[in-house]
Amino acid sequence: MRPSNLNPYFLNLLFLIYSIILGTQPAMADVVLPSINDKYIEIHEVNPTRDAGFVVGDVLERTITLTVKKPYELVKESIPIVGYEHRYQGQISGIELVKISIEEKKNSDSVTHVLHLSYQVFTTGKLAKPAALRAEIVKMRNTEKKELLQYRIPSFAFRISPLSVFGAIKLKEELSPLTPPLLIDSSNQKLHVKVLSSLLGLSLLGLLYIFGMHAWLPRMGAPFAKAYRDIRKAPDTTEGLKQAVGRMHEALNKTAGTTLFGNNIESFLKTKPTFAPVKQDIEKFFSLSRQVFFEADGSSNLGENSSKAWLLKFCRHMRDCERGLRPETSR
Amino acid sequence: MSDTQLADWRNHALTLESEVNKVIVGQHIPVRLITTSIFARGHVLLEGDVGVGKTTLLRAFTRGIGGGYQRIEGTIDLMPNDLIYHTYLGEDGKPHVSPGPILMSGENLSVFFFNEINRARPQVHSLLLRVMAERTLTAFNREYHFPHMLVFADRNQVEKEETFDIPSAARDRFMMEIPIVVPNDDSIMESLVFDTRFHDADKLVSNVPENILQFDQLNSFASLLQNSISASPTLRSYVLNLWRATKTPTDFGVKVSGVDMNRLVLSGASPRGMAMVLRAARVNAWLNERTAVLPEDIHDVFHATVAHRLVFSPVYEMRRTEIARDMLTGIIHAIAAP
Repeated sequence: MRPSNLNPYFLNLLFLIYSIILGTQPAMADVVLPSINDKYIEIHEVNPTRDAGFVVGDVLERTITLTVKKPYELVKESIPIVGYEHRYQGQISGIELVKISIEEKKNSDSVTHVLHLSYQVFTTGKLAKPAALRAEIVKMRNTEKKELLQYRIPSFAFRISPLSVFGAIKLKEELSPLTPPLLIDSSNQKLHVKVLSSLLGLSLLGLLYIFGMHAWLPRMGAPFAKAYRDIRKAPDTTEGLKQAVGRMHEALNKTAGTTLFGNNIESFLKTKPTFAPVKQDIEKFFSLSRQVFFEADGSSNLGENSSKAWLLKFCRHMRDCERGLRPETSR
Repeated sequence: MSDTQLADWRNHALTLESEVNKVIVGQHIPVRLITTSIFARGHVLLEGDVGVGKTTLLRAFTRGIGGGYQRIEGTIDLMPNDLIYHTYLGEDGKPHVSPGPILMSGENLSVFFFNEINRARPQVHSLLLRVMAERTLTAFNREYHFPHMLVFADRNQVEKEETFDIPSAARDRFMMEIPIVVPNDDSIMESLVFDTRFHDADKLVSNVPENILQFDQLNSFASLLQNSISASPTLRSYVLNLWRATKTPTDFGVKVSGVDMNRLVLSGASPRGMAMVLRAARVNAWLNERTAVLPEDIHDVFHATVAHRLVFSPVYEMRRTEIARDMLTGIIHAIAAP
């Protein structure tokens, strides 16, 4: 049959079939769309902090932040899906997307998509080998022109290490002047040293405190210094005055090394001449003590010089004398 | 009224003290203690070496107090009867019984002076125990009372031959045991030797005016005095601590050099002893024109009223004067008030 004799209807059918075959061919293979202009896309990547030393089973986390400006929008169906077996040059790459989560934030002129991608390594080898978190290709649609474009998220290259050294190793031959010696793990011992050093430090501080007459600073624990602090806290009542006078007696007795009474002030001043400038005050104090503790109506007849304020001042003068200073009254 | 009485009697007491101090020089502390004892109505035992003026001191006080005064010398053959009566053959050739020194002045007896008491036998000490404690005596089928009587006794601590230790029960009857020591002051020592005034004790004692005090009013005044001088709760607590310390000095950290303190004290001060301390302290406060007892008043009388009441282990008895002094000083230094 000659071609001129062919039925035009038949020719049209052939042409249609040919056209259909030609039209569907790209869909059957990987469709490569034109790339979107970079000015419509902003990308921010957060990749794993290291790029080597990964072994089988490790999970690598990657966060991609894509900002797609209008009139384009991300085609959700083009986002990678979990469990997709990725191949490279026909071989299964062994790096599998195991988890994905997406956040979306709409702005006035753009939409920001945050993709949290978790890849797991399912491959290993006898030697370290290169690998990559694949470059994910997402599609963008122009909402005004119905145009479809693609955007390639960059890949992340890293190296996969074997789980163990393969074959017999001669350590001597493997040694390198640049290789540091293998160190014994001494973290426990270091911890012990730190704990014991702290204990030693605390013990020494405690010893210092004990030798320092229970005070952190020189003379801080001296009798009148302590009494001054106590008297300051005593309430400003008759009972408080009694406590304060009693506290002063304690300090005087401790300083004198014996119980001090009104009739042995002279001998006290002979042994502790630094207190001589306040002799009159000491006598006045004993007079106050008699009123407070021994005289029947003494507590109710206390004069101006018998208040807590006076006692505090007297104690401060005694503290000054104790520190080898001249109290302010005698200056 | 009582304030006036207290002041008047204080003047009398100080006059007596000053008059005695004119006669007995360099003994201000013993003189103050004896004055205290008179107003606290307590008996006094003087202790000291021979010839230091113990007897003269007591005679001087006796003259100032007034009232009946009797005296007896302690000897090894002295018997209790000798204190109560003596017998003699009268001019009529018949035996007679006269009252002894204790009975002679009757109720007016104000001072019974027992010289060298440690030479007397324990039987005599026993009689004295009752007379001192109760101021009564039974003789000739009746009971005699001596309400104003004070016993002044002395003993010398050097001589040990033909002497008897005064038992602790008898010692406890004395309010005070006062040591008399020769003064250290050169001028006093010189005048004691070269001033002829001090050579005749009788004449010396006669310089003390008689009856400065009214002996028969001393008891009632002493009672008024004791009620007028107060003792605060703080002081009471202080005295109780002193008392406890005489029993168990180790509890208060009291130490005496060269003495095992755990073995030293067999018995501390008695309740009567501590009561006497307070009586004496009240008088001391009164003499110092105070209305309340202070720790200083206790200190002034503490040694004299407590030292002779302590009972030590026999091994330490030979050193009792020194140990008692150190222990009591240690107690005063160790116990705070407040």
